[in-house]
Amino acid sequence: MSEQGGVQFAIRGTGDRNNPVRRKLLKPFTGPELFVHFRMQYDAGGIDTPADGDGEFFVLWLDDVDGGDRAAHQGGVPNVGVHVAEQENRLMVRYHSSQQHFSRIALEGDREYQMIVRLGKSNAGPDQPFDQLALWADPLVHERENPAVKATSHDAIRRVQWLGFATGRKTEPTDTIRISDVRVAASWREILGLSAAVAAKAAPSAASPAPPQHVEKTVDFTTHVLPILETACFSCHGGADADSGVRLDVLDELLNQVTPRDAAASRLMELVRSTDLETRMPPPGEDRVALTRQQIETLGTWIDEGIDWDDGRLPTPVPQTDHWAFQPIVRPELPQVTNRGWIRTPVDAFIARRHELAGIGPAPLATPETLARRLSLNLTGLPGPRPRTAAAGIATAEVPPPPTTAAGDSTDDALVATRDPDRAEATHAVADVLVDELLSTVAYGERWGRHWLDLARWAESNGHQHNRERPHAWRYRDYVVQSFHSDKPYDRFLLEQIAGDELPYADEHLVATGFLAAARYSGNELDHEIQRNDILVDVVNTTAQTVLGLTLECAQCHTHKFDPFSLRDYYRLQAFFTPGQPGNVVLQSDPATAHALIESRWQIFDDVHRRLVAGRRASGVPEPVLVIPKSVFRAMKGPERTLFQRTEAAIAQLPQSWSWTSLTSADAPLAIAPHEMRWPLPRQGTGASAPKTYLRLRGDVKSVGPEVRPGWPAVFGKTPAGLARPRTTLATWMTSADNPLTARVWVNRIWQWHFGTGLVETSGDFGTQGTPPSHPQLLDWLACELIESGWSTKHIQRLIVGSNTFRQDSRFSPQGHAVDPDNRLLWRWRPRRLEAEAIRDSTLVVAGQLDPQAGGGSVPVSQAGRSRRRSIYLQQKRDNLPESLTVFDSPPAVASCSRRNVSTVAPQPLYLLNSPFMQTMAQSMAERVREAASDPDAQVQVAFEMALGRRAEASELQRATQYLADHTLTSFCHALMNLNEFLYVN
Amino acid sequence: MHRRTLLQYAGLGAGSLALQSLLRAEDERRPQTHFRPTAERVIFLFMSGGPSQVDTFDPKPDLQRYDGDDVPESIAQTVPKIKRAGLKNLMASPWRFQPHGESGIEVSELFPETARHVDQLCIVRSMQHRNPVHGPGECVALTGTGAGNRPSIGAWSLYGLGSANQNLPAFITMNIHSDGMQYPQAAGWGTAFLPSRFQGTRVDPRVGVRHVTMPAEQAREDRRDQLELIEWLNRRHLQSVGEHSELEARIRSYETAFRMQSAAPELFDLSGETQAIRDRYGLDASPTELAGRTCLLARRMVQRGVRFVQVRIGGWDAHGNIKGNHTRMARISDQPIAALLGDLKQQGLLDSTLVVWGGEFGRTPTMEGRGKGRDHSPAGYTVWMAGGGVQGGRLIGQTDPLGYVATERPVSPHDFHATILHALGFDANRLTYLHHGREEVPTVFGGSAVKEVFA
Repeated sequence: MSEQGGVQFAIRGTGDRNNPVRRKLLKPFTGPELFVHFRMQYDAGGIDTPADGDGEFFVLWLDDVDGGDRAAHQGGVPNVGVHVAEQENRLMVRYHSSQQHFSRIALEGDREYQMIVRLGKSNAGPDQPFDQLALWADPLVHERENPAVKATSHDAIRRVQWLGFATGRKTEPTDTIRISDVRVAASWREILGLSAAVAAKAAPSAASPAPPQHVEKTVDFTTHVLPILETACFSCHGGADADSGVRLDVLDELLNQVTPRDAAASRLMELVRSTDLETRMPPPGEDRVALTRQQIETLGTWIDEGIDWDDGRLPTPVPQTDHWAFQPIVRPELPQVTNRGWIRTPVDAFIARRHELAGIGPAPLATPETLARRLSLNLTGLPGPRPRTAAAGIATAEVPPPPTTAAGDSTDDALVATRDPDRAEATHAVADVLVDELLSTVAYGERWGRHWLDLARWAESNGHQHNRERPHAWRYRDYVVQSFHSDKPYDRFLLEQIAGDELPYADEHLVATGFLAAARYSGNELDHEIQRNDILVDVVNTTAQTVLGLTLECAQCHTHKFDPFSLRDYYRLQAFFTPGQPGNVVLQSDPATAHALIESRWQIFDDVHRRLVAGRRASGVPEPVLVIPKSVFRAMKGPERTLFQRTEAAIAQLPQSWSWTSLTSADAPLAIAPHEMRWPLPRQGTGASAPKTYLRLRGDVKSVGPEVRPGWPAVFGKTPAGLARPRTTLATWMTSADNPLTARVWVNRIWQWHFGTGLVETSGDFGTQGTPPSHPQLLDWLACELIESGWSTKHIQRLIVGSNTFRQDSRFSPQGHAVDPDNRLLWRWRPRRLEAEAIRDSTLVVAGQLDPQAGGGSVPVSQAGRSRRRSIYLQQKRDNLPESLTVFDSPPAVASCSRRNVSTVAPQPLYLLNSPFMQTMAQSMAERVREAASDPDAQVQVAFEMALGRRAEASELQRATQYLADHTLTSFCHALMNLNEFLYVN
Repeated sequence: MHRRTLLQYAGLGAGSLALQSLLRAEDERRPQTHFRPTAERVIFLFMSGGPSQVDTFDPKPDLQRYDGDDVPESIAQTVPKIKRAGLKNLMASPWRFQPHGESGIEVSELFPETARHVDQLCIVRSMQHRNPVHGPGECVALTGTGAGNRPSIGAWSLYGLGSANQNLPAFITMNIHSDGMQYPQAAGWGTAFLPSRFQGTRVDPRVGVRHVTMPAEQAREDRRDQLELIEWLNRRHLQSVGEHSELEARIRSYETAFRMQSAAPELFDLSGETQAIRDRYGLDASPTELAGRTCLLARRMVQRGVRFVQVRIGGWDAHGNIKGNHTRMARISDQPIAALLGDLKQQGLLDSTLVVWGGEFGRTPTMEGRGKGRDHSPAGYTVWMAGGGVQGGRLIGQTDPLGYVATERPVSPHDFHATILHALGFDANRLTYLHHGREEVPTVFGGSAVKEVFA
């Protein structure tokens, strides 16, 4: 067959039928199918539309004979190309000029089309007609069954010997059509420039982790080993008071004396083999003799075979603990207090009771302005979309204004005023309305969703040195925001995040598993066992810390030094997650297309990969021959590369989510789009068997202990066996009413985000090393409320922000300070610095610059400086977070962050004073102020209300107007944005 | 800006705050040293990517002899079973080693300049850990854990030392030549659970401290008035709130920031350095320009009271071609590092400044695949220490005859950290910080100071 690739023709019309380029095949073709490939580009300048001219005509024809210069072909000759349909030039195919079949593709000028034509015979044979004709433009590999247009005709040529391009009467001398890369082939893959098809499921062998070696068991624990241990060891090294603290009747303890699968390295073997009577075990004595060689050999084999154990006969004792956090939650009675008038919600009763016991009293009600700003910042992270109106609403609409004195500052008077019961009631009523309003805003979801993202150590890149981006991770962020906005019950929220992929299919459920998938992932880790274990460790630590408030990470290497968790507990918890891994899950709008696209992408990739491996092997590279994806991309040949890139582009268009799914999930396999790394995780859906979970001694991946099955820590009771949906079981246990931790931990976190400090100060550690709760009964009461309200977060928040406790003023009291300097008893509101996001967002609001667009893809780091969107929408790329956030202690998104650090370092003022962002914001704010007021006094007041939510007091006004006499309004506004009062929730 | 103006400017407003008492209070909370320190500050020259020990400071003549052979079984069985530990094709070093100085310690011809200072160096040839991957390995080398979730050695040092200059960050990290595959690990200058004031401030040596320059259109007088207004309003706010140490600290941070506006540009302005110094560091020659500038800045920083300077020079990852890579890296760094040692000595700073050099791991004595490079290997590698009480001209530890595994006096990164803290006067096992009810120490995974370094 002849090939004409590489040559380019520029064809012009003549205004008549013409046949400018035609070629003869080396021999006539009569096979079952023939493919023709060519690239076609119409110069835009020459294109007439049927509306203003005649339109266009241009075809490729395939014939048995050369039709001559005038393109005189008979009927039955296949034509593909461009002709006029209704009002458009469209791609079409035809056998006869009277029967044209048009595609939907309208001809665009200056665009190169990759045209592929198929001529086929429904009955093979040299004398059968080519009765099938089809045309594709820019096809992807999997689109063989979906041509742009096709036609059939019994009246058709039976063999092909000539092909050529023809113009017609509509093709004018000013029209230029460029043709190149004309090729023929006998198969679909060949015409696309690919090698022959491969089995779609085949994955490179390097992709699956090597399981730890397994040996056939020759020693049975109960019949061979146990008798030895019972007679020779247990009398001293058994039971709780074992000699030297060495216990051999409990697997977890025994493991300290042996190295599974390596008897030679085991301390136990060293001791029983010792010839030194001082150290030999068992030691010489009346009724004890050294083990026989046979017995020693049995023990050795037992260890080498991985240590078989009978948990039924020798169970690990359930740890006993009387630590408060592990005891059941019991609803406490509301305490009786003297100061009953102060109680707005039951929260106040618990707080007041402690005040009374300590002999102190609460601070007065905060001023309406302070309260409005506090509520708004607390619930939405913004000083209020209309800070003036909100404050003014409280200050003037409902409450009689406080009497002001001509010269003095009004704070004291305002405070006195709030002690007046009527005025206080009115303040509360207005604040309650504001609370309802704020809780219903999207801004609330954004603020509280961000708190959750801290716990989820959520980010949009893999971390570690390659730090590849995760362009679809934002969907999880939106899921979290939406969940808070809609007050999704907390138990449901957890279930979806921990087991969303096990629930009945819904996009939302898969997106929710972004919680697990947010783990870091090292793409440069060649050892798949280490790679997987690192991810699992991250997932277990984060889940335990976030949901249960436990610092389980200690138990990764050794039995927890303080809390009742063993090494075994740790890996049992890991086993729930072992079969899963993160990846780009395609959301299922069109699963068939997604699967087909991804499959063809892998086909091309695997072809090239195989080729490279074979080549390197042939050149003598020793096994294993490793080829990284980058080399594969580089080695793709022209057409392969084009097609590969086009397929990748099409995959990128599919809606996806960075989610966690099981390698072995059954029902309808999900489409997982590639996430290419140097050493990627095993490809999902390739029939890989589920990895097992093993104890890892001292946390060392390479020190593999016995296999373990999923289970929660033994201290919390028995885990059912044989779980069909293991993570669903885990989440259900976590949110069952008798789980002592989940509800306590969550209400404590809510409390912390409202007050700055939790009732349990160490909100991420409810273990024995954490701090005890300041108000244990209040904590339990709130936990009961949470569960009984159907796990409603907003219900708990209403109880908190509606309380007098929350609404206190921040004023200092020597008496309170003397009794309780840290304010653990909450005798006042303690001002605290805003988080980085709230500082940036508040600045944008005050400058009138905030772009309120919610949700969707993140603003790339490179554009973060110019963006005016809320900070939660700035891309969270690990190790490259926006400066505006890191300067104010935003977490690095590496581990779960229960409580943010608050630093006060000089780079912060430098940023606030000198960064271009702050300067621009100061200018914008000044413009806003100037629009609202012209004389200096009024400008000061407007600026104060914008930035601080209150009016300037007399002395402030005087100082400020003085300043304005010598300085610009921008300089003044810039100063306000640097105030502690601006940066703090007061 | 002229020096005189700067000084005047730096003085502005400094007296207006009751700073001294605050500083003293903070100082009193610092942990007490456990014994007499031999160093007051540290310069950590971190060679990211993993310089090869057998091509630099750990000569192995046997490699010549067995060039091309496989690692013999006797040594192979001691190589920890971690990925990448290739056992085929031993590869001789392309560089010769020669004895230097009075000590006669052999150094590869790769580092002719550093070799001149060999009598100042205490070379530890038996470093060892188990993490063969750059990111986690770097975290191990600088924080003690692969996860990087514990404080960096710089943060621990600063926690012990406190700050000596209120005008500059006390812990500065400069990352250069980090354009390769090994991304700098933020944990390496992070604080984890330690308060963030002990954090390293990341500075680009070509740029200086961020946002230290006032906007061009802002007059200095205006800035001074602005700061006074801010302080006046902040004090009113503080009064209304009563006792609040954090608000006070924030007011103080404006004062520091203000002083940093002058101190930082002064630090980064090298125009006052002599041509001799510029030549010594290689400031005007292209391969050494950046590392030279960075090393010179390190000296200027410690001179001005910065306690911990971390210089991260990336690019040592010689997989494909050890000769090409290490030649290039040595050209970049040898002269500047030698200049730093000499300059510190001349300025009388070396005795009180601990200088350490090393990467996250070393490299295999074998060839990687069929290339001319070496793979990562944490089983035995070399670091050196100098100044700050260190006994120069000394060797500690040993690797096997092929330079693969540390065989004598293995030193873990935890031991290494304890050694740095030892120089600063702290017993790492007793340097505690109360966090979540636990007394955290730098050596939670074990580790004790290599005291032979000092005596």
